[in-house]
Amino acid sequence: MAAPDLLDPKSATHNSKPRLSFSTKPITLTVREESEVVATVMKWKTVTAIFVLVVLYLVMGAAVFKALEQPHESAQRVAILTQKLEFLSKHQCVNHSELEELVKQIVLAMRSGVNPTGTLSNHISLWDLSSAFFFAGTVITTIGFGNTSPHTQGGRIFCIVYALLGIPLFGFLLAGVGDQLGTIFGKGIARVEKMFVHGDISQTKIRVISTILFVLFGCLLFVALPAVIFKHIEGWSALESLYFVVITLTTIGFGDFVAGGSDIAYLDYYKPVVWFWILVGLAYFAAILSMIGDWLRVISKRTKEEVGEIRAQAAEWTASVSAEFKETRRRVSVELYDKFQRAASIKRKLSTDLAFSAAPELSLPKRTVSVNFNDELEKREAVLQGLTTPLMKKHLFMNGMDPERGDISIIDNIK
Amino acid sequence: MRSAGRSWLLLTGFVVFYIIYLLFGGLVFSTIERPEEERLRHELDTLKQEFLNHSCASAADLDHFLARVLQAHRSGVSVLQNSSQPSNWDLTSSMFYANTLVTTVGYGHSTPLSDLGKGFSILYALLGVPFTMLVLTACVQKLLFPLVVGPVAVLHGWGVAPRAACALHLLLLLLLLLLCFFIGPAALFSWLEGSWSFLDGVYFCFISLCTIGLGDYVPALQPGQRNKSLYQVSVIVYLFLGLMMMFLLLRAVHKMADVHGLTALLQLPRCEVSPDDEQRPILVTSQKTALLQPGVSDKHLAAGAEFKNVDTCYSPVNELRCLVPL
Repeated sequence: MAAPDLLDPKSATHNSKPRLSFSTKPITLTVREESEVVATVMKWKTVTAIFVLVVLYLVMGAAVFKALEQPHESAQRVAILTQKLEFLSKHQCVNHSELEELVKQIVLAMRSGVNPTGTLSNHISLWDLSSAFFFAGTVITTIGFGNTSPHTQGGRIFCIVYALLGIPLFGFLLAGVGDQLGTIFGKGIARVEKMFVHGDISQTKIRVISTILFVLFGCLLFVALPAVIFKHIEGWSALESLYFVVITLTTIGFGDFVAGGSDIAYLDYYKPVVWFWILVGLAYFAAILSMIGDWLRVISKRTKEEVGEIRAQAAEWTASVSAEFKETRRRVSVELYDKFQRAASIKRKLSTDLAFSAAPELSLPKRTVSVNFNDELEKREAVLQGLTTPLMKKHLFMNGMDPERGDISIIDNIK
Repeated sequence: MRSAGRSWLLLTGFVVFYIIYLLFGGLVFSTIERPEEERLRHELDTLKQEFLNHSCASAADLDHFLARVLQAHRSGVSVLQNSSQPSNWDLTSSMFYANTLVTTVGYGHSTPLSDLGKGFSILYALLGVPFTMLVLTACVQKLLFPLVVGPVAVLHGWGVAPRAACALHLLLLLLLLLLCFFIGPAALFSWLEGSWSFLDGVYFCFISLCTIGLGDYVPALQPGQRNKSLYQVSVIVYLFLGLMMMFLLLRAVHKMADVHGLTALLQLPRCEVSPDDEQRPILVTSQKTALLQPGVSDKHLAAGAEFKNVDTCYSPVNELRCLVPL
């Protein structure tokens, strides 16, 4: 069982089987019967189906967000415009265009991270060592808050190079941490499972309970506790803290809320602890997300299985019906042949008795083969497979007839 | 026991190296950016002073006003120009936002303002992120065959050694990726967005495709942008395709590391293949007849079984080794 894909923290949700989801079965290795080496790919249908689902999901999300957010946005806009008009009316000497110019400059500055409120002296730089350290961390983990971003050409180029090297490095680290985390939790859960084994509970129930326990415990440790701490220190609401935790740990990182980004006097060890929490929390979230991915995959597999079962049943039914049909045909043809044979032999006997020669019209158009039909079924199949010509020849050539040339054509005619 | 101790050692080594890397990055960023920040702050202060000097507004009033403006701006609402601005939450913009949410890019140019929006974002992300990752890896697995296995087999058919074929192919793939997903789109973006330079375009492409998404550059946000909806939808498509190619590249690099024994050396997990994927034979024309000879079949059975045991996903060297009749 593998930890998340090591070169990209975000691809952790692909087909790796985290040891933290205890619902996985060991992969059985099948030795291929053919002598060809094969590659495994997902079917086109699966891929297109999932793709269509994602597009639908996006559209649905867009509609919901629009419905939720647009009214608020309009309200905000109205509020700020009123404020501006109030300001202008209160201070008559202020030129409208000058104000616009100032606001534009300030907005640009804001994007550079400079806060223009207040005076020059009491500012904490956004690029002192600890903040720059934090920024580097957000780049490597691909969270990318964006409350600080490089503005010089040199800074940007260095950012690109830095990320190119740092993201895989972080991926390795995440894989390692995820593994260790999994081991720790696995040991704990094994101990819990051992307690349950004394009772008479089924294996799957134990698995489910252990997974739920893991999820809850992890949520408590990595989500609930930090959210409470952030609420207390940063002064956010409960929802905003939870929102920040989820947005950060899924590495989305909007940047509207950043721990350590406000103008509060933080303790010295606050930012490093936040960084450490991000590291371990990311490993936990990668495991959770891959578990959700596994469930989605299991659901899709089950649906596929059911569809496959239905298809298999249909194929079975068709096969049995056609086999029955073939069998009936064969039996009918054999019966007819027998009857005809008997009729012909009776006729011959009558004719010899009455000293008449056999009427030509009663003889068969082609010469027949008197064959030992005891193993006719096997012969039929041998004929179908086309590989038993020598066999046929052994059986049938006592009369010097060649079945290939159509001496069994009586049966073909009946067909 | 030795391997467990070794893995712990490796982990601590990684953590230490990671911390050093972060410190180094912080130092460099600090040295580069801080002077620029000082300069900008000075400029802004002078501007503000000038404004206050020949106006009757008090500093406190202006500060208060500016604070509100900035807060609104952070939510994506601009106070400039009374004229009606296109909403940040019309259908395509919301879809763009949803896309930045599920691909975990997260620009932050527009963020949910309402509590309900925030709550819904949480749920949407928790479900949508693994979903998107699933789609991307499915597509990558599908593309792995024609884009990686095929060309490497062709190269091997031309007589290149397996490892060299892998490396050469990786280089070619890298160049193709660079051209199609960085240089090309960067030029396009710098043309479409008036104020972006070519380097800004490259920077944007890189930051987006690595899903960092700082948000200092976001396309389709210029006031008066024509065909904004179409533009945003095409950016969504570009993000999706680009992310797919990045995953493909990462997968190819991972395989290379596997092949050259790096993952075994660093005791990192190899990638796995889920058992419900279909199996497809590799088309290698010249070698195929050799495979069907009865004398070779046992060896291939054994080789195939061993191949499955050691590395259950595509590994070009292993497969090429299996294809050569011994």
